[in-house]
Amino acid sequence: MLTADLVRPRLRCNAGELTIALLDERKRSWLQTASELIALLRGQAGHTQAEWECAVDAYTGPRVDYVVVRGLAKVLSDAATFTPPPTPLPPAALRERLFAHGPAFPTPQVLHPQTRDAVVARVAAELGLDVEQVATTLFADRPAASILQDAGPPWTPAGLLARYNLELARGVLYWASALHLEVQGSYKDLWKYLKLFKLMFWARPLPGGGYAIDLDGPLSPFVQATTRYGRQFAAFLPALLLCERWRLVADVRPPLGTPATYRLDDSAPLRSHFARSGPFDSRLEADFAREFAQTFGGQRGTWLLSREDEVLLLGDTVMIPDFALTHKRLGQRVLIEIAGFWHPDYLRRKVEKVRAAGCQHLLLLVSERVNLSAERLRDVPGEVVYFKHKPVLKEVMGAVDALAERVYGMAAKR
Amino acid sequence: MSRSISFQGGTLVLYDVDAHEPVPAPFRLIKGRWRCEAYHYGPLQPELTVRDLRDTVPRWQRLDLPLQETREPHAYQLDALAAWEQAGRRGSIILPTGAGKTYVAIQAISRVNRSTLVVAPTIDLLHQWYARLVTAFARDVGIYYGGEKQVRPLTVTTYHSAGDLVAAWGNAFKLLIFDEVHHLPAPTWGETALMAPAPLRLGLTATYPDEQEQSNGRWRVEDLIGPIVYTKRIGELVGQQLATYRTQRVQVDLTPDERDRYDADYAIYSGYIRSRQLLGRYGRDWFRELLRRSSRDPQARGALLARQRLLQLVGSCAGKFGALEALLREYAAGRVLVFTEHLAMVYAIAARYLIPAITHETRAAERKQILDGFREGRYRALVTSRVLNEGVDVPEAKVAIVLGGGASAREYIQRLGRVLRKVENQEAVLFEVVARATLDEGRAHRRQPRPEAL
Repeated sequence: MLTADLVRPRLRCNAGELTIALLDERKRSWLQTASELIALLRGQAGHTQAEWECAVDAYTGPRVDYVVVRGLAKVLSDAATFTPPPTPLPPAALRERLFAHGPAFPTPQVLHPQTRDAVVARVAAELGLDVEQVATTLFADRPAASILQDAGPPWTPAGLLARYNLELARGVLYWASALHLEVQGSYKDLWKYLKLFKLMFWARPLPGGGYAIDLDGPLSPFVQATTRYGRQFAAFLPALLLCERWRLVADVRPPLGTPATYRLDDSAPLRSHFARSGPFDSRLEADFAREFAQTFGGQRGTWLLSREDEVLLLGDTVMIPDFALTHKRLGQRVLIEIAGFWHPDYLRRKVEKVRAAGCQHLLLLVSERVNLSAERLRDVPGEVVYFKHKPVLKEVMGAVDALAERVYGMAAKR
Repeated sequence: MSRSISFQGGTLVLYDVDAHEPVPAPFRLIKGRWRCEAYHYGPLQPELTVRDLRDTVPRWQRLDLPLQETREPHAYQLDALAAWEQAGRRGSIILPTGAGKTYVAIQAISRVNRSTLVVAPTIDLLHQWYARLVTAFARDVGIYYGGEKQVRPLTVTTYHSAGDLVAAWGNAFKLLIFDEVHHLPAPTWGETALMAPAPLRLGLTATYPDEQEQSNGRWRVEDLIGPIVYTKRIGELVGQQLATYRTQRVQVDLTPDERDRYDADYAIYSGYIRSRQLLGRYGRDWFRELLRRSSRDPQARGALLARQRLLQLVGSCAGKFGALEALLREYAAGRVLVFTEHLAMVYAIAARYLIPAITHETRAAERKQILDGFREGRYRALVTSRVLNEGVDVPEAKVAIVLGGGASAREYIQRLGRVLRKVENQEAVLFEVVARATLDEGRAHRRQPRPEAL
């Protein structure tokens, strides 16, 4: 997600009409900048996030188009994965040891006979480390110290410019209070996403085919121009791009700016990175739903199963878990995602995103055929259940109860 | 489906109620149904029975948490609670920082004995509430913000995350407690109070927003929380519950090399501002204008970069380290709290003097370990960025050192509050370290509080 300081300077406002200075994806100079930034990121493999940020600053220098350069860099680092470096002992444990001797000073004095460097040397020796290791471990768990592990998707310069343009448009919708759409053709996914993002819509068929749709949220009628739903609008935009013909009019109020109208249609140089939905995603899901209905359907059981009825906003993209379980009495929810035949890299990236989103109430059912080491999955905020051929319903429901207990507490006991 | 009222995303919705039927005033016919903001729920309750509506709104529970708190309340704390009960368990209590607002809140939760949501301004305060509530009730407590999301019958969240929490789970809480309630008039933050059906509400603050601040936002705290039910000013408590304090300014000089770099960058920066008459032509918007120009005009961009270098230099100049070092040496037998605005500076100080750091990056477990260690005397000093600005509980600190910082009066008061707790009549000192003849001096000047606010 581009931050406001990276979006606002790209906006132009004229007589209440807001436009974005989108980049021309064919312009040589932009393609070159994009290409240099992609190379810069790839060259940073194994380096820290702080070093990457320094490299971007150095690359930017006194350029007056620094807002674009930083925006492109932000799109790149959002899609990349940085992980903490390995350390000989947990950094927090080292700090606890070391700081017990502070404050320490460069020169000795009556009250502080040991200098700072002497303290560090002594603690290092006690721990069997050298002084250099102490220095690198001390704050190794800061985000600034995390290491570039994966540079993200295989970017092309034109692809990066297109994605940057999309993120600019999303940045504007972040400040939107309401959207008005007109869509024609292939809108199956549109309805799905509207519902999933819990947006309120009011649709009317258009005389020439298609629909006019007004979009806001439950609180909108009562709080004039609330931007509470901007995040959902921004996340929703790629779903709109899946339609063949569309027009969008948004009421926006940028921070510190005056209210304005933003218009966009299918002639804009934007592409969606959301996948079009297939007929039915997998046999595993169909089997799971059937087995659940046989065992716990109707009045039986304490959980209600529904398919794909919630969207998790994961940074710049979304995840729609395969199932949601709702507790019949308390309304608490546990989400289930079945990872059957994914490519390990894809799953790994997804796990990183789930971890970043801190979603506690997600249960991942992972096929043992997916070669993801348990090590990698250990830090996922939710819970993981492995299966051989298909998920075992009894085990899954046991894990669901344990997860609900952990997340929602003892008072929620069934 | 039978006639019913439901909670939906911060609103109340009537189902199977005809569009022609007369309904209570706050409801409006929107997108085919009768709807209103959820905060009307309390006053609406009697109507629901009369109109034969099935009420599916409340999902709150009894807490039945035996209170583990052993501290005796002060008389003014009991008075405050009594006044709040008198007002129907709605309204705000104004107490100075350090006078035990959290204690009052814990007593209120215990008396109401139903699911409660506490809203705090910062993640630091959220962690502090979490620790206090866990100790007070010996029960795990839910925590909901960017990093962690667990909703339990007793949950703590931040103003920033409260909107999402309340949209999804608003009807799970009967009592809402807003810590530092003066934040509520801010546009999106006030929506939280609007979206919750909770009939019982408690606001806590040391600095109740004045009329003008409230009208600048969209909401008045009274409409969302209830009236002010109790007030105690700082003057009434000094010497009784709070220690007295004094402030002292320490001026440091730039080194000759720093001075040269400062003057050179200052010439670029101020030269541009002056030659283009930005102050005269754009008044208070001069900085926005500079930013705007910096993406077209190489000279404006140069001035902006020069300004960044200036602030960086002033924030971390050698003299500040020197002054800090001298103060740390002098007071290291006591307990010293160091504030600085810049994250990099916090970590530089921590590594240089081997003292623990607390910033927004610090996780809950380590934060607790550091604050416990500071209280117990294992740590003599502690360095933080601005996250500890409001009411974080470090009663043992008798000396605070401020290196740089924001310009608002409120911040100054809250920071003072940190060193104000009375421990054996000891006087607290707040040192403010500024670089002589730099931008710093103007900033520190603006930081002086208005006299009536103290």
